[in-house]
Amino acid sequence: MPLSPVTARLLARLQAEGHLPSAQAQAVATAEAIRPFSLHYELRALLYLGITLLAGGLGVLVYEHRDTLGHTAITAGMTALLLACFWYASRHRPAFTWGEAPCTSIAADYLLLLACLLFVTLEGYVQYQYGVFGQRYGLVTLLPAVVFLPLAYRYDHRGVLGLGIAALGTWVGVSTAPLAVLRGDLFQSELALPALGLGLALVAAGLASEHWQRKPHFGYTYLLAGASLAEVGAMGMALETADWTHGGGLALLWLLLALGLALGLGWYARRTQSYVFLLLGVAYGYVAFTGVSLLLVLLLGEAATVLWPLLFIYFPLTLLGIVLLFVNSKKILRRS
Amino acid sequence: MSVKAYPTAWAEEAALREAAGRWQRLGWLAAPQRAAIEAAYPQQYYRPGNWLRLGLLLATGFGISSAGISTTLTLGLNSYLVASLLLLAGAGGLLEIIIRKSKHYYSGVDNALLYAALGAWAVFWTELLDKLHITSASTPLTVWALAGPSLLVLLLAVVRYADPLVAATAYVTAGVLLVVTVLATALGILLLPFALALAAGAVLLLLRRLAQRADFLYYRSALVVLRTLALVTLYLAGNYFILLELLTKSDGPGFPTWAVALFWVPTVLVPLLYIALGLRRADRLLLGLGLLGLAVSAYTFRLHHAVLPPAVAATLAGALLTGLALGLLRYLRTVRHGLTAAADAEVRPLVNLESFVQLETASVPGPPVPGFEFGGGGSGGGGAQGQF
Repeated sequence: MPLSPVTARLLARLQAEGHLPSAQAQAVATAEAIRPFSLHYELRALLYLGITLLAGGLGVLVYEHRDTLGHTAITAGMTALLLACFWYASRHRPAFTWGEAPCTSIAADYLLLLACLLFVTLEGYVQYQYGVFGQRYGLVTLLPAVVFLPLAYRYDHRGVLGLGIAALGTWVGVSTAPLAVLRGDLFQSELALPALGLGLALVAAGLASEHWQRKPHFGYTYLLAGASLAEVGAMGMALETADWTHGGGLALLWLLLALGLALGLGWYARRTQSYVFLLLGVAYGYVAFTGVSLLLVLLLGEAATVLWPLLFIYFPLTLLGIVLLFVNSKKILRRS
Repeated sequence: MSVKAYPTAWAEEAALREAAGRWQRLGWLAAPQRAAIEAAYPQQYYRPGNWLRLGLLLATGFGISSAGISTTLTLGLNSYLVASLLLLAGAGGLLEIIIRKSKHYYSGVDNALLYAALGAWAVFWTELLDKLHITSASTPLTVWALAGPSLLVLLLAVVRYADPLVAATAYVTAGVLLVVTVLATALGILLLPFALALAAGAVLLLLRRLAQRADFLYYRSALVVLRTLALVTLYLAGNYFILLELLTKSDGPGFPTWAVALFWVPTVLVPLLYIALGLRRADRLLLGLGLLGLAVSAYTFRLHHAVLPPAVAATLAGALLTGLALGLLRYLRTVRHGLTAAADAEVRPLVNLESFVQLETASVPGPPVPGFEFGGGGSGGGGAQGQF
């Protein structure tokens, strides 16, 4: 395909200003023109969509046909598919290492994911139809996590790790999706404590894997899922215990915990130069800080009525402060 | 004063640095050469990484809103006209200062200020027309009175700031004006698909001309957004389902049945055309939109012809997609027809983003309790369509 006009112009400028010898500029132009078009990410996205549709469709099919002869065929088919996927994945599994294993086969990566999705469906169906686990529903929801987490480590697979974390979330009853907080799924008070507990455990797992160099690249996934969960849990507990007319001392403690976690996120962001954690830390820290200030003013009672007009400048000034903090974050993050 | 708010050299030199980085990763450029290019064209403006830009956009946006509310309450302003004019002047002035003094270039701060200024203008104009009782009745003329001048302001803002979101808003505004005008004619809906397709085609042609201009790089991201929207319009203009929806909602003259059925042709062919052209011209946008359009067309088809139960359709589609993708991954392991399944050396791996998407879409449903009617659903989610 012909060289794009923009590339041609950039090349001409670099050549004219003496940064590229003309022979090299010509070589780059030719190489650009004959370079193959990579469909890598498109194909991966199609594959991901394909296995999700397949697992989802089969998952519904098996329940729809539970009373007919077809369900035997479907469960048998799913089991066979699961085993085939797993067999393929295990044939291409990388040699075990505590570091990051090289990707051996994209197909194997996604087929392992498909095997895991099928496992969840099959396990649920077997329990539904035959009640293998009896009334121990906790066990039913914990089993996928018990299966997936070791698999994630053995196959060095972040997707399966994500599924394992999601399974842990299902076990305690919360969603571990990082954006679940925006959908408001997590603000049910009875879920606050489990969310906080699981969140702290995940954060600890992430920090531990980085500290002891046991799959340190899993740290991102653990912390991303855990940080939001812990923060929302702590804030949920604050909401649960707060008494907004008089201020609540207990709520203050929960908010201080949330604030401390946010500071921890900032510390982590600085250590790893990661802006997503800086953003999360600032966002949660800001909410917690605002809550703490509000509760302190409330605790002061009548004496604090003079402080209320400060609200007019509180938000503009603090938000300006955050903008300045972000703008100077490069300096802040670099200072070590 | 230049028409453009930012120096054009910023965009031009950013493109040079980016190209040099790509060529070095591909091994076409020696590291010292790239370093020399980086040194010759240093980044002179402020633009942090995407996460931070998002944070800056949000913080500035909330900051402006809270400052606006506080000012309004403190001054006891009770007129939207005055308040919006104040905001317009304040945000607009601050925007120009931030660009000139602090050299912000799409850092999130300048974007938020621009949106605030334009939003203030929209409030001002709506309120003014309302006060003058011009918009009390809803006719095509009042829509023009509201959106016509707004379109002009948006276009001027695009010319000056080249912001993609403002460009998109201008496009949608122009689209609304076109639709309203066409629907007001005697032919109404009969004309609409053709008018929209024609307009989208004209925009695409215009964009090709604009790509030749010397200041193309300054407008590149805005033009990419416009191209995306024009391609989407072109597809939707010929979409069978949209036409049917419009016809059932309107009481004007309709198409004969055979003519409606003819709309299946573009509904199927346009996405295929996009995919074919995208593959031939190495055009990722066309390819992605074609794939997306094909999915929408398939969904459209299922809405009207329930040939298969949803679960069976999902299973078959999933099996087909998985098989196709696996087959292509294998087939394109070596370069064929100028296509490859290998990752571009020029693209840095998106591992963290991928983990984010997988974590976001991962879901492990608990097993249904016996006696509880299973309501469908299933595991996993959509996500991750097109490019990351």
